[in-house]
Amino acid sequence: MQHTPSPPPVRRHFRQTRDRLATALITAGGIGVIAAVMAIGVFLAVEVVPLFWSSSDAPRINLETLWLPQAYEGHEVPVHRWQPAMPEGGGEPRFGMLPLVWGTLEAAIWALVIAVPLALGAAAHSALFMSRRLRARLKPTLELMEAMPGVVIGFVAGLVLAPWLDDHLALGLTLLVMLPSGLLLAGGLWARLGARWRRPLPMGWAALWLLPWLLVCWFLSSWLSPVLEAWWFGGDLRAWLEVSLGLDYANRNAIIVGMAMGFAVMPSIYALAEDALSGVPKSLVEGAEALGATRWQSLWKVVLPAAGPGVLSAVMIGAGRAVGETMIVLMASGNTALMTASPLDGLRSMAASIAIELPEAVPGGTHYRLLLLAALLLFVFTFCVNTLAEVVRSRLRRRYRRMEGLG
Amino acid sequence: MMTWRRPSRRAARSEGPWAWLAAGSVATSLALLALLLGLLAVRGLGHFWPAEVSLVALDDGRQLAGWAVKESPLPGGDGRERLYRTGNRDLDGAIWDWVDLDEIREVSHPSDLVVLERRRWSEFIGRLEAVETESGERISGESAWPALERRLTALEQHRASIERLRHQVIRPLVLRLEAGEASELERERLSAAQEQVREQQAALPKDILILETVDGRQLRQPLTEVTDALQPNAMGVGEKVVAWSQGVWRFLSEGPRAANTAGGVWPAIFGTVLMVVLMSIFVTPFGVLAAVYLNEVAHQGRLTHWVRIGVRNLAGVPSIVYGVFGLGVFVYGIGGHLDDWFFSSSLPSPTFGTGGLLWASLTLALLTLPVVIVATEEGLARIPESQREGALALGATRFEMLTRIVLPMAMPAMLTGVILAVARAAGEVAPLMLVGVAKLAPQVPVDGEFPFLHLDRKFMHLGYHIFDAAFHGGDVQAAMPLIYATALLLVLVILVLNLTAIFLRHHLRSRHGTLSK
Amino acid sequence: MTVMQETRSSPGAFIDFSPDVTSLEIRGFGLRYGDKPALANLSLRVPRHRVTAFIGPSGCGKSTLLRALNRLHDLNEDVTWEGTIRLEGQDIHAPEVAVAELRRRVGMVFQAPNPFPMSIYDNVAFGLRLQGRMPKRRVDDIVEWALRSSALWDEVKDRLRASAWSLSGGQQQRLVIARTLAVGPEVLLLDEPASALDPISTLKVEELIRNLKSSLTLVLVTHNMQQAARVSDYTAFLQDGELVEYAPTDTLFTNPRLARTENYITGRMA
Repeated sequence: MQHTPSPPPVRRHFRQTRDRLATALITAGGIGVIAAVMAIGVFLAVEVVPLFWSSSDAPRINLETLWLPQAYEGHEVPVHRWQPAMPEGGGEPRFGMLPLVWGTLEAAIWALVIAVPLALGAAAHSALFMSRRLRARLKPTLELMEAMPGVVIGFVAGLVLAPWLDDHLALGLTLLVMLPSGLLLAGGLWARLGARWRRPLPMGWAALWLLPWLLVCWFLSSWLSPVLEAWWFGGDLRAWLEVSLGLDYANRNAIIVGMAMGFAVMPSIYALAEDALSGVPKSLVEGAEALGATRWQSLWKVVLPAAGPGVLSAVMIGAGRAVGETMIVLMASGNTALMTASPLDGLRSMAASIAIELPEAVPGGTHYRLLLLAALLLFVFTFCVNTLAEVVRSRLRRRYRRMEGLG
Repeated sequence: MMTWRRPSRRAARSEGPWAWLAAGSVATSLALLALLLGLLAVRGLGHFWPAEVSLVALDDGRQLAGWAVKESPLPGGDGRERLYRTGNRDLDGAIWDWVDLDEIREVSHPSDLVVLERRRWSEFIGRLEAVETESGERISGESAWPALERRLTALEQHRASIERLRHQVIRPLVLRLEAGEASELERERLSAAQEQVREQQAALPKDILILETVDGRQLRQPLTEVTDALQPNAMGVGEKVVAWSQGVWRFLSEGPRAANTAGGVWPAIFGTVLMVVLMSIFVTPFGVLAAVYLNEVAHQGRLTHWVRIGVRNLAGVPSIVYGVFGLGVFVYGIGGHLDDWFFSSSLPSPTFGTGGLLWASLTLALLTLPVVIVATEEGLARIPESQREGALALGATRFEMLTRIVLPMAMPAMLTGVILAVARAAGEVAPLMLVGVAKLAPQVPVDGEFPFLHLDRKFMHLGYHIFDAAFHGGDVQAAMPLIYATALLLVLVILVLNLTAIFLRHHLRSRHGTLSK
Repeated sequence: MTVMQETRSSPGAFIDFSPDVTSLEIRGFGLRYGDKPALANLSLRVPRHRVTAFIGPSGCGKSTLLRALNRLHDLNEDVTWEGTIRLEGQDIHAPEVAVAELRRRVGMVFQAPNPFPMSIYDNVAFGLRLQGRMPKRRVDDIVEWALRSSALWDEVKDRLRASAWSLSGGQQQRLVIARTLAVGPEVLLLDEPASALDPISTLKVEELIRNLKSSLTLVLVTHNMQQAARVSDYTAFLQDGELVEYAPTDTLFTNPRLARTENYITGRMA
């Protein structure tokens, strides 16, 4: 009972040819697309190279002029300066890259100072203490936080936070002290509460019921801050800073940038660190608890050593993001190419310089190529950091699988 | 009888201080996020609410009317001062007034205060004395306000009909005329229509509003300059809601005014959406192609492994670097050559050799390519091998297997990837600053002129609009409410896109859960 | 003495069907995954319109051999092979053979049912539509015939548009068989088709296999010796990638020639 006829050979031939063509097309297209994406690094390198054997044209550029202090007109000692466009009669443009690199790193470091404790604390809490239901809601919420556009964060930092902190410097400082101590106080009180009171306030939901407590701390701080300012800083914190520490408070400064960018990179560090921490086989934690360790002890003694590399790679990815973030630095930093260690001064990062200066730079000129060099540095840095983090993570995944095999 | 018992919590030991700091960091992060969203929502939406206008009487007898904006301590002294937005830039030269709190004698909200939105010189705040009609008749007192409202409605209709005539009749005729295709009849129709417009413009009511500020200065304001008139203190909640929604609608549908510090954001919405749509058209096929190649065709060896890591890492490369690439390769490289070959007549002014819609969307497509590739690859990897073998065993070629079984099954994953890409692209500003965004582009890049979609034009963008209004506008304080509203709009768009992606991904996981039983 | 040597080098020679009743002829076939040998020097002939069972311990290569018969290994680039496999006298690896057409002629049913995420009707019509445009009436006829042949028609005739994933496991497996029958194969390869099913569904599938052999050549891989005994006409015993013994099923189970075979079928081997 041969019901279905054999298909005509023409059709068979057509299908075969179509398949070969499609496979060839997919292969060519796939390789093409991947090559196009990878071409970014090549393009930057090719454009930057002529910088170093440029012929006679204007300012000579070599490694020395870029990275070492130079003796410029009007300065007695050699200094680092990034002044690509000098006013009429102001002399040669000054291309010292160091202030930009400094600004980039300073912004990134302050961002990490803010983001890392928050992100790792949040990751530890949600991996080990938080109730599963809350955790399932928290992760997408923080994902939304990650998607917040840089220009909005930059706007809020530059035009809302900066003037606010300008007016409420003392309150900001008080909050920095009061919030952690308020939390510790909450912990102490909770431990003394009877079981009847503890039941409606379980540890797994602490992230939510601590919110009103934070509000209380806020009000307390705003009430305390004028008192404290009068007590310790003679009533005016800013004047005190200037007189006793010699620090000048710039309206838009590294701290503002750090806070804004910390907010921006915190979710990505959190997500990766949480993955690493919660990926540690449950048997390890249970084993430690069976020996009488508290949750926190088992986190510290068992989970963290196992997940350490994963947490490190999370921080590395965060650093990569912080180094390359453009809009936040552009809007919150004041964009002054200074090289000071004071967190109260402004700064100018490489990414922000590129965004501001590149549209005006003459294609092929020294300034243009230097900005491309900055882009190349950003590219190489982030690419290397991310690759390293990725390798660390895949090692870790293999390790977990082995541990599970043993357990 | 048995009772259910819970494990006693009394035995639970304290976790020590660090655990509380960890819990607090979650709470702090959530609080910060809520604070940011709340700030945007309240300030962004609140701007359109017709707030009560205060009449402030000062100790020295001076009076002013306006809205309180903020308070701060007096520089170098005790006490505080308050900033009022008083409008009337044509009379005062500024729209702000700082007032020392101690000098305020009385604040009241008289219901006869009017707020007029005008085309120039910001809003007027004060009292309406009378409406002077063309024939010189004065309508004053109680009946002045209803007369003004009637005239404004009529004016609105006039404007709409002129706009319709311009858009639907004159413009197509002019285009045909320019193309040299217009017949004699059409020429006549064109001149008739132009005559009609002139007539209608001439027929616009020439009434003059006699206005008086609270401190007694008079102003004669032609009605045609006024776009909207409100008496906020006399309005009920219902009327305010109506006025609020009209305000929101105007914000969404009108173009910016006064160097981006007032008016709406319609061109920016349009530019953002168009750019993102073009980007998805570029990124989807190429991203899927690359993912299919990596997952289905390529030899799964060491090289593929490293390529995969590389692609993943490109998602972490700063967006500004993509902008540099776009500027160097697309704009100066390809665009420059295109100009040399096809548009040499208009050189030295560049056509494609400068930033524009095409280059911006291509750059963002490149930037989001890794996102689409990674998401699609995940979807492909999730499809059980047995489905592929089933198709092959029925005599399908690889191409048929891919198009009829694998790609339809991976569709939700691809969609997730594209939505995430769109969400990322909609919020990126830094690369656009290099490859084609404009501070103010009066023409949207789509119109009735051939080729209808102008890929070489610059365009406006919500994100850049925020940056520009915040940092390059003259009066930042005046622009703040609009920046808040724009930021809220951008955040909402991105949140909705992300939520869709999260929902899709969740849906996808639960569906594949039933498959691999 | 000579007989023994011949046995070791090519044990399949014990049943040598004449070429006009042979459907598949495997000669000197070996296969490697990378450096790892999976099959070595295998020779046997599969008779037309009969059920031939491959049995053996897990990992003995019986599934690998089955997949080689319709070139499913082509997708895996690590696989290398030697020797020849002929279908109706033609080498299936010959360059002029289109692999898609070969797979149409040599259908395959897998261990776990793998219906596509579409309706029951579309599942059965999937292979047909690949072969080119066909009048709707004709497709309907073939779908009905295929579903009847796989004894599924009565159960699904009222819900042909329902999702194939809504069927039970046994129904899904019969649907997959129907889907394969619809493209008109000459050989049907079954890779442990009942291992994921409950006993009643298993009986139905076995009955189906017996009915199908009037029009098809069937090759069945199974680890269940009772099943092999119930449905097959010939049985081949494989171990460590080699063919140990190949005989009519009755003979192999009642009177195995080699001690290794006997140990396996009586369960004395791990």
